[in-house]
Amino acid sequence: MSGVLAILQKELLVYFRSPIAYFLLAAFLLGTGYFFTYNIFLTGDATMDETFQNMGILLVVMLPMVSMRMFSAEYGARTMELLAALPLGAWQIVLGKYLGAVAILVLLTAGTAINLVPLYLFGTPETTTIASGYIGFLLLGMACLAVGQLFSALTENQIVAALATVCVLLGLWFVGYLQTFQYSQELRALFRHLSFSLHYGNFVQGLVRSESVAYYLAVCAIALTVNAGYLQWRR
Amino acid sequence: MSTLIALTSVSKRYGPRTVVDGVSFTVERGEVVGFLGPNGAGKTTTMRMIAGVAAATSGSVTVAGYDMATQNEDAARKIGYAPEYPPLYDALDVWSYLRFVAKAKGVPRAAIARELERAAGACRLEQVYRKEVFKLSKGFRQRLGLAQALLGGPEVLLLDEPTAGLDPGQIQETREVIRAYGEDHAVLLSTHLLPEVTLVCRRVAIIHHGRLLAIDSPEGLQRAFEQADCVALLVAAPAEGLRDALLAVEGVAGVRIEPLEAEPRLLRVECRVSARAGLEPAIARAVAARWQLHRLERQRPSLENVFLGYVGPEHGTGART
Repeated sequence: MSGVLAILQKELLVYFRSPIAYFLLAAFLLGTGYFFTYNIFLTGDATMDETFQNMGILLVVMLPMVSMRMFSAEYGARTMELLAALPLGAWQIVLGKYLGAVAILVLLTAGTAINLVPLYLFGTPETTTIASGYIGFLLLGMACLAVGQLFSALTENQIVAALATVCVLLGLWFVGYLQTFQYSQELRALFRHLSFSLHYGNFVQGLVRSESVAYYLAVCAIALTVNAGYLQWRR
Repeated sequence: MSTLIALTSVSKRYGPRTVVDGVSFTVERGEVVGFLGPNGAGKTTTMRMIAGVAAATSGSVTVAGYDMATQNEDAARKIGYAPEYPPLYDALDVWSYLRFVAKAKGVPRAAIARELERAAGACRLEQVYRKEVFKLSKGFRQRLGLAQALLGGPEVLLLDEPTAGLDPGQIQETREVIRAYGEDHAVLLSTHLLPEVTLVCRRVAIIHHGRLLAIDSPEGLQRAFEQADCVALLVAAPAEGLRDALLAVEGVAGVRIEPLEAEPRLLRVECRVSARAGLEPAIARAVAARWQLHRLERQRPSLENVFLGYVGPEHGTGART
């Protein structure tokens, strides 16, 4: 576990000693703030539903900027040579890096909580729905980071890693819309099960469904396992 | 002495290309072994396999008794590896970087500060301790790469071109660190600098086209290469007559003559001779019969000549001296 913690601390240090983390935090909070203000004035309801939807798509587009450097930058700077020579297993490296990125995600999530202040000051929002939305937001972000980290491990080029991740994540986000064009029940079910946005929609509506939780966690587990396996294979 | 590095018929293939071909050697505790070879000979790949960064396609690599194929993590605790390009995080400062490596190597929390001080002190990094890595000069980057390898006091130290980019003073200091460390650990040192090998290494391994051509002490390699011996003379004589007279001596294969800069009437002559004993008197007689012989000495081949003899003169540019 000390190896995982060492990697995690190093990741956070690297994030916060370069402008990437600050830029991302600022851009994300600015975007979220804009959507929140727009939705509140548009609907006049003390709710985060619409804002959560907007935050979801913003997350899908922006998180690849966090994940793109996770391994690609290590290859580029030849520091992967150091990580591979340290007494760390592939899983420790993958997990340490992943937790570092999740810490950034938690920080992003915590930053959006500022929107709740006016909501509770001037209205009576449903706390359970908001909590459920945040759970969904974190799970969606964790799945996005796991997928992004895998693509970062597969290429030495950060831009390629980011673009590939955005493509796959947008594919998973919009795949649910394909079900309306299918006659086959199996395909409709498959698209529904694979859809990031439909599962996320459940959380936004206040439903913490075990199926949706399991889906996001399964995406994380599969991506991280493939990631660790790939690092092992690279040797 | 105990064997800390053992390679047995190790090969590494990338698709159809064989980069390392059946290499076997050992490094004992208390010795520094120099790893010589032209660019692309397979030195770095061999080092990477010993460090556990790359796996051998066939054969076995054991470090401190651990098999790198199955006990990689246990072995990694015994290894300090400084690759040719120092693996540094530019965004971190020197202290944070070394602290990260120490933690990842499993150095106990209470010992980290002492360990950092020791490694940074050995590599003269105190003055840049709080400086960001991206602000360091090439020399400091190289020394930081060495310092991270020394952290945790590994039993095996693998150094790939550790003095590249250092100034002469730093080179001397680094060699002293390596020599001192090699007294009770095993050090494998890949380098292009032949004097470095002579000064620091107890044994030398020469690798070319992925094959290990020789491994012996520098003196042993020179002895094995006696046929490249040379007899040097200092003579007051005309060049042409002297050349003919020397080539007439049986066993003299070639003659190189050049005037002595300080004393132009004297010629400095190098005769390439066979290793046959007793050739010096014959040469002395041939010269002294007609001219004035000032000096005659048999010279051992330099390590550079030995190296070139193994890998071929076309790789001479890779062997900087």
